[in-house]
Amino acid sequence: MSVLDDDLIICRCEEITVGEIKKAIREGARDIAGIRRRTRAGMGLCQGRTCESLVLRILARELDEEAGRFHPNTARPPVLPVTFGVLAGEPDE
Amino acid sequence: MAVVGAGPAGLAAAIEAQKRGLNVLLVDMNLKAGGQLIKQIHKFFGSHEHRAGTRGIDIARDLYEEAVSSGVEVWLDAAVYAIYPGPVLEIARGILATRTASKEMVHASRVVLATGASENAVSFPGWTLPGVMGAGAAQTMINVERVLPGKRVLMVGSGNVGLIVTYQLLQAGAEVVAIVEVAPKIGGYGVHSAKVRRAGVPILTSYTVLRAFGDRQVEGAEIVAYDEHHNPIEETRQFLDVDTICIAAGLKPYAKLAALAGCELIYSPVLGGWMPVHDENMHTSVPGIYVAGDLAGVEEASTALEEGRLAGLSAAESLGKGGPDAADEKESIRERLSMLRIGPFGKARADAKSEVIKVGEKICRAG
Amino acid sequence: MPRGLTVDGFPTEEELKKSPGYPSEERFKRGPVAVVECVQEIPCNPCELACPRKAIQVGVPITNLPRLDEEKCTGCGICVARCPGLAIFVVDKTYSDKEASVSFPYEYVPLPREGDVVLAVDRAGSVVCDGTVLRISNPKRNDRTAVVTIAVPKGMADEVRGIARIRGERIG
Repeated sequence: MSVLDDDLIICRCEEITVGEIKKAIREGARDIAGIRRRTRAGMGLCQGRTCESLVLRILARELDEEAGRFHPNTARPPVLPVTFGVLAGEPDE
Repeated sequence: MAVVGAGPAGLAAAIEAQKRGLNVLLVDMNLKAGGQLIKQIHKFFGSHEHRAGTRGIDIARDLYEEAVSSGVEVWLDAAVYAIYPGPVLEIARGILATRTASKEMVHASRVVLATGASENAVSFPGWTLPGVMGAGAAQTMINVERVLPGKRVLMVGSGNVGLIVTYQLLQAGAEVVAIVEVAPKIGGYGVHSAKVRRAGVPILTSYTVLRAFGDRQVEGAEIVAYDEHHNPIEETRQFLDVDTICIAAGLKPYAKLAALAGCELIYSPVLGGWMPVHDENMHTSVPGIYVAGDLAGVEEASTALEEGRLAGLSAAESLGKGGPDAADEKESIRERLSMLRIGPFGKARADAKSEVIKVGEKICRAG
Repeated sequence: MPRGLTVDGFPTEEELKKSPGYPSEERFKRGPVAVVECVQEIPCNPCELACPRKAIQVGVPITNLPRLDEEKCTGCGICVARCPGLAIFVVDKTYSDKEASVSFPYEYVPLPREGDVVLAVDRAGSVVCDGTVLRISNPKRNDRTAVVTIAVPKGMADEVRGIARIRGERIG
């Protein structure tokens, strides 16, 4: 894998860069949830569907650990984008 | 029984369970049933049991017709966005087609999750520009939406998806300028690579994409070769005039719903990453919840079909509806599955799958 | 220098000749014959059912390379459109004094037409000579895979495996 510039965006939804993720790791993030809490990476529309495996690879490389050590983000409903109208059980006008 | 996802695994699970006497509801978030099959315009590999030689689009149509005629209730444009203990599914219906989406709560005694996989991203400078897209996304554009994503394409990745989508982009009228593959060898089947080479597409192994150029969209790409020590070889650095970059860097199981249901996950690099643990009946660590297809490890449509059958049959059996031939039938499905996992391409998947099942036998109680 | 199927993306002459699907030079001399260019053990066997004379065998396990029985094969070409990998060709080195014919699957539009002079390509997609389209076969059983047969100079029979795609719209 090529060297990643710090200004490269990793989480497109929330526009979080490699540098911000590395900073979160320096500040003590040790898993994907830790990165998410500190940076919002994976909290946008796609809920980490695109960036989660990229974040995982940065974590594994920075901490020199196996990728399988890092659990995915905790899944919470809704796992897909839905409108408040649907959630409330009201017809969506 | 509820089945989430109407790809080959979900359709096969629904058909199998319905035929054995369960009432099956099959839900899928798309407007058309078939999952990835609806964009597979090529003839499939495999054996005659799996309808090899038939185009994926035709298999999708036939499976859907079989599901409907055997009595499966199918909800399309129905997105399962939550699952709660029970199990209870929370479903948004009509998001795509109507302005009056509604919420449905469905209680099922058995659930088969067949939510498939999603594409891996690759990050490089410029990867967020419009024109960089997953190879699967490009395939949806050309074969489902009938829109050409661009005229000159760079394909990144030479696995079967990269090779097949390259071929289909050519069929759709695009130029594929090159396929770059970071590994020293081509990832996919030789017959697929031979097909695109014959069509004049170079496959550059030990090459990677360095960056995408462009102001508001992709206007070019820079690629470079690596030596055996993973150092870039400067004189191979070149600029390609492309307007589209397709990423075919593998798939990962889409396990969000399974995780939400409480299924134990396991990390299997060979099978695509984090996936639910399951036993040899496709049953997960959560009573009553089964998995099949790419969610249970990224493989091929034919394995998805067989796993779906196995999940549907096991679910029926757990409700006393297996029928007299259940044990024999399960054995022959497993036999066919192991036949699909032999040879140089299948061996690693066979080993990874038996690792998963070994863990599964410990933590997945019979449903 | 050829580096083999997994690097170049197409089989070398050596890989082909040691595979059980490649006919002998002797058989080529006796007329049209199927050339099965499938040299990698993948789970696939539609070719086996395709042949009405059972000239192609895969057997068990399904990853066996297809074995051509060159005595049974008549070069009828039914298998060409049935191979999902588009890896079977029919070559007739006896087509005429100076020319051989090569049949190959073709899944692009527009199709060439009989009599067209086309650019014949080798396995690497390089144009190696002109070819003349002899026929286009696309019956229902081909399931939309047309089989195109072209005549090429005899010396090119082992090289030519297709034609450059025909560009542009063609009505009728």
